[in-house]
Amino acid sequence: MNDKVSSALSVGDLTVAYRSKPAIWDIDLDVPEGVLMAIVGPNGAGKSTLIKAVLNLIPRAAGAVSFYGKPYERARSLVGYVPQRGSVDWDFPTSVLDVVTMGLYGKLGWLRRPGRQQREQALQALDDVGLTDLVDRQISQLSGGQQQRTFLARALVQDAQIYFMDEPFAAVDAITERAIVNILHQLKERGKTVIVVHHDLQTVEDYFDWVTLLNVEIIATGPTADVFTPDNLGRTYGGRMTYLSDGQLMPVGD
Amino acid sequence: MILLERALIDLLLNVFTREELNAFLRSPQNTATIIGCLIAISGALLGSFLLLRGMSLTSDAISHTVLLGIVVAFLLMTEVFGMEGDTSSPWLIIGASLAGVGTVVLTELLFRSGLVRQDAALGLAFPLLFAIAIILVSRFAEDVHLDEDAVLVGEIGLAWANTNSHCYQHCDSVTITPEHPAATLARQCSNCRELGISPRDDGAEFVEICGNCGVYSPARAWSAGLLQNQPHLVFFPKSITVTLVMGLLSVCFVVIFYKELKLTTFDAGLAKALGFRPGLMNYGLMILVSLVAVGAFDAVGSILVIAFFIIPPAAAYLLTDRLSLMLLLSPIIGAAGAVFGYDLARGQLFGIWDVGAAIAFINQSLGLDLPARWDSSISASMVLMIFLFFLLAWVLSPRYGLISTFVRRLHQNRRFQNQVVLAHIHNHQDTERREVELRVDTLHLHFRWQPEKMRRVLARLRVMGLVRMVDQLVELTERGDAHVHEFRKVMLATHNVPDLD
Repeated sequence: MNDKVSSALSVGDLTVAYRSKPAIWDIDLDVPEGVLMAIVGPNGAGKSTLIKAVLNLIPRAAGAVSFYGKPYERARSLVGYVPQRGSVDWDFPTSVLDVVTMGLYGKLGWLRRPGRQQREQALQALDDVGLTDLVDRQISQLSGGQQQRTFLARALVQDAQIYFMDEPFAAVDAITERAIVNILHQLKERGKTVIVVHHDLQTVEDYFDWVTLLNVEIIATGPTADVFTPDNLGRTYGGRMTYLSDGQLMPVGD
Repeated sequence: MILLERALIDLLLNVFTREELNAFLRSPQNTATIIGCLIAISGALLGSFLLLRGMSLTSDAISHTVLLGIVVAFLLMTEVFGMEGDTSSPWLIIGASLAGVGTVVLTELLFRSGLVRQDAALGLAFPLLFAIAIILVSRFAEDVHLDEDAVLVGEIGLAWANTNSHCYQHCDSVTITPEHPAATLARQCSNCRELGISPRDDGAEFVEICGNCGVYSPARAWSAGLLQNQPHLVFFPKSITVTLVMGLLSVCFVVIFYKELKLTTFDAGLAKALGFRPGLMNYGLMILVSLVAVGAFDAVGSILVIAFFIIPPAAAYLLTDRLSLMLLLSPIIGAAGAVFGYDLARGQLFGIWDVGAAIAFINQSLGLDLPARWDSSISASMVLMIFLFFLLAWVLSPRYGLISTFVRRLHQNRRFQNQVVLAHIHNHQDTERREVELRVDTLHLHFRWQPEKMRRVLARLRVMGLVRMVDQLVELTERGDAHVHEFRKVMLATHNVPDLD
């Protein structure tokens, strides 16, 4: 396992199994600080599973994970998470502002209530994602794209160092897609590391400077220009998976 | 418990006289209403979170399986530890809450096996635990006050009679020994059965038995006529104390952990990622649900207590978009149901209509012979009343009610028809085909609409000043033209935003 401080995320030998079937298998991954990284792979490749296992949301069968050299328990405040939109009940009786404020609960800790300062922070984040007009809107009345931006704002208020986003571009409108891309680039400019589960191969090269190709195992990981090649994509998506044999495509840190 | 009652009575005695207080508590109506309200408050608060977690029926399961906890705790107390079998012991309550948590754990285990679905897992776990409880009751604890009637519907109407007495003056307790003048002594043959002889036969030996010896509390001593001065007593119904404690616990839990409950309910994943403990909150909630179920067990029974958990939150959910408001409204709805439910059981609907008179009227007009005296189960009437409030919310809720939904759909339909017709006119009015496409009397044919429908839409649009008729042709007014452009702009900008009004 690589504990260099320069890597924002370091994953070693991570395996997650649903019953006896591995969902992800022996993942070694080092993500340098300050990159915008896409995790790309076919359905069932374990993209979401990888993120959830890294964040300790599901049990790991084996392996270790560190953020800036620290285990998750000591790095919570460094980590921001944007789950899949469908993971919550949008009929929950609460407002957009309230949902965004939830991102600050971690810093507040047990029992302390959010106050004026938290409200200001949440409003700022909503401004950043272009939802200023919908602050008091009941969340069930949001469109899909607006829901996604609400989640994004909730992660922004966490003011984390490394962000994990699970399919933020899934079924969103063009306005939202542009808004999210803008936010991603702002985060990168501020030196944050962003890891995004991504489905749309067309936009990978435009949006991301770092790519991990995943299909249960890591196929390749590294700068988009080096890794996002037809050959690698063929191996990621093309039926049976083959072990890496081609030296030049060996993932960093393997 | 006793200390709490004492403190509460002391507080009340600052405002009321002792006689007033006793008279108030001795009224079945007052006691039943207070207990009903307290159960409604704790049930509604906890039930709101159950509802939002999609776990409403867990309250159903738990309210049954607490019986197992009660019985097991009772058996452990009496059989294993040799204690006095006391049905109001705190051990029973601890047993009950463990059984509640056990139900949830068992359900989780079954579900996690991946072989049954969540709802089926619950349905598997709770009849099992309830069945074990029933067997234990019928086999080992028949003499305990745990009969089926009490389990099903409770005895809220009799709660006033089951009291603790608190003495404030002339508090002499009396101990009667065989030497006491008031002792009633009887001789009993001690060896008759053994020797198979009658007490009159020779050789019978006798012992003296004291029929009324023992320690008499002031209340018992007075009613047995052992005291000169009437002790000043306050009789406090036990159920009020129990349900009051449950109510306070629920309120404290929800107020203290409001933020944590909200987060873990809305997004358990984020809660976990932020370092909160969704599992812990869940079990905390389940323990409280069990406690309330036990507390309400005596009063309203295990089936009807579910109504106090589920119906008020369901009604409040229809009335508001804010969790805080929902937590305020649902206890109010539950408590109102308890208050008016008591009236209903006694034949009064909202204190205005007399149910008996209504039945008499039905009898008279239909020639039936229904019993006109209306005197029904109090807890069932409370549930009916709560449901009536739910029904009102369901029909009348300003945003989600049946009526407003219907009106909104109608309105949307009309707006849609308006837009379709306006767009059609806009597309054709400056073309050569306008003579064909825009004739008033044939316009409906292009839409495959009934002529009547088209006439209505056109009439609406004319009233709104959006179209006018010129030589049997329809055309847009300036306002109509602006309207079409505005609509297109909005549609294009926010094509996936649902309509909000």
